[in-house]
Amino acid sequence: MDYFADSFAAAFALILQLDPEIMRIVFTSVFISLSASVIAALLAVPAGVVMALNRFKGKAVIQHLLNTLMAMPTVVIGLLLYGLFSRAGPLGEWGLLYTPTAIIIAQAILIFPIMMNLTVTAVNAADPRLIPTLRSLGARTLPMMLQVIRTTRFAILAGVITGFGRAIGEVGAAMMLGGNIEGFTRTMTTAIALETSKGEFELGLALGMLLLLIAFLLNFLLSILNKAKS
Amino acid sequence: MTPAYQLSDIQVRFDSRDVLNIPSLSLSLNQSTALLGENGAGKSTLMNCLAFVQAPDQGQITLLQETIGSKLTAAQRRRIGYVTQQPYMLSGTVRDNLKLALRLQQIPRTRHDELIEKTLALVNLMPQADQDAATLSGGELKRAAIARAIVYEPDILLLDEPFSHLDQRHIRQLETSIREFAAQDGKTVIFSTHDRLQAMAIADNSINLVNGRVTSAPLLNLYHGRCQQQLFNTGHLLIHIGEVNADARHIAIDPRQIIVSDQPLHHTSMLNSFAGRLTQIAEENAQVRLMIDCGEPFYAVITPTSLHNLALQLGDTVWVNFKASAVSVF
Repeated sequence: MDYFADSFAAAFALILQLDPEIMRIVFTSVFISLSASVIAALLAVPAGVVMALNRFKGKAVIQHLLNTLMAMPTVVIGLLLYGLFSRAGPLGEWGLLYTPTAIIIAQAILIFPIMMNLTVTAVNAADPRLIPTLRSLGARTLPMMLQVIRTTRFAILAGVITGFGRAIGEVGAAMMLGGNIEGFTRTMTTAIALETSKGEFELGLALGMLLLLIAFLLNFLLSILNKAKS
Repeated sequence: MTPAYQLSDIQVRFDSRDVLNIPSLSLSLNQSTALLGENGAGKSTLMNCLAFVQAPDQGQITLLQETIGSKLTAAQRRRIGYVTQQPYMLSGTVRDNLKLALRLQQIPRTRHDELIEKTLALVNLMPQADQDAATLSGGELKRAAIARAIVYEPDILLLDEPFSHLDQRHIRQLETSIREFAAQDGKTVIFSTHDRLQAMAIADNSINLVNGRVTSAPLLNLYHGRCQQQLFNTGHLLIHIGEVNADARHIAIDPRQIIVSDQPLHHTSMLNSFAGRLTQIAEENAQVRLMIDCGEPFYAVITPTSLHNLALQLGDTVWVNFKASAVSVF
């Protein structure tokens, strides 16, 4: 029991002292996941709006595919990208393996279906009069998309935040593609796994608490958005 | 005269049922036209088709003599203003909504302020210009939606049930706004309503819709049922009809063709004679409208002199008489 309580106390102390190593890991983690979220959102939100606004052949198949990909294990993405980025792989020349860019790409791929699916849901849940009204007012494709995004922005942003939460909490792809290099690709989740295996329980615990804090803040933000939406 | 719209072979189906079936219809330009029909008659579907927010499953619509393909051009879209039955206002103020309409219709920015002020004055909404659209009352919301639909100066204004769920004061305000728009040069107004009197008050002409079909029959004294040889069974009454149409599901009787008497009429050519209770007496355009409950409600129109001669009072038993040939079957 003492060991557990002592570890918590030490972890708190590390956080309060703004331990430079912890701060660097948190910064790396947030930077990577934020970058992945921005890239994924820039692609997924327009794709989701286009999909929701249009009827086309194969829409149901894409919907099923997105649902499946939402539950894709992170290690599978890590594995596939490892094959592509490793020296012998087709994109080996780019030298992306064990770089933050590789993790950003992996996380963006991981959260793209989540963001796209939640954007589709957000647009479908909008007032059914929205689209006919915009159409009757002469909205062409791009202005229509922008107005739909503007009207459903809170729900769409909630989807983006959900994606960010998934990205910052994943460990498989970050470990396989980042290589857990100190000060470079070491994220909060990979650091927790490593430090705990090394017996540095306090450091792992401090990072775990910070990760929980981020999750809490994200959820808090989501509840504010849900209120704004309604 | 150039029609505003020319419809040919229009069909809209839902669940393999015809919601709209109009072989041919022409809607006049520079006039006010009312689309009359009960709930579910297909009025909103027709309005959606006229506004080109819904494509018919079959047929062609010509707008101002131009055949419309799969999409309207920006110029064609600018010629139509459409207000739905329950208008949807986008977030922001009334002015924001009008500005958005002008932006979407690609009206030059330099004209925005002038057009917005002019339109708000026309629909009497100046005091609410900077009010959040979500906080408008029912009547204000309808007028704000009309303002948004006419701010870019369309030639045709389509209004789907504009007077529904409004009190008398707001109905009068709305009627004034519609009249003022229609009074401008070269403006066409087409609106749907289930209220015949409302239609007569504003419209130059009216079109009757029953079960998605255009009919020339008056929509007062409209009954649903089935033909049984020379009789039409409404479920409550058996009515003699002149023409037999086994597929027909409706009949209508012009109120002016009904003879009201205080005793049964014998030895006449009128096959239909039903006793009923007088439940309503109302003055309407210098005539008197009576409602008589004979198992089905009958509307009849008589002169004030006839009312005086018959000395009718509410609750009296009277006879409703009409010829079989006065019944429209469709």
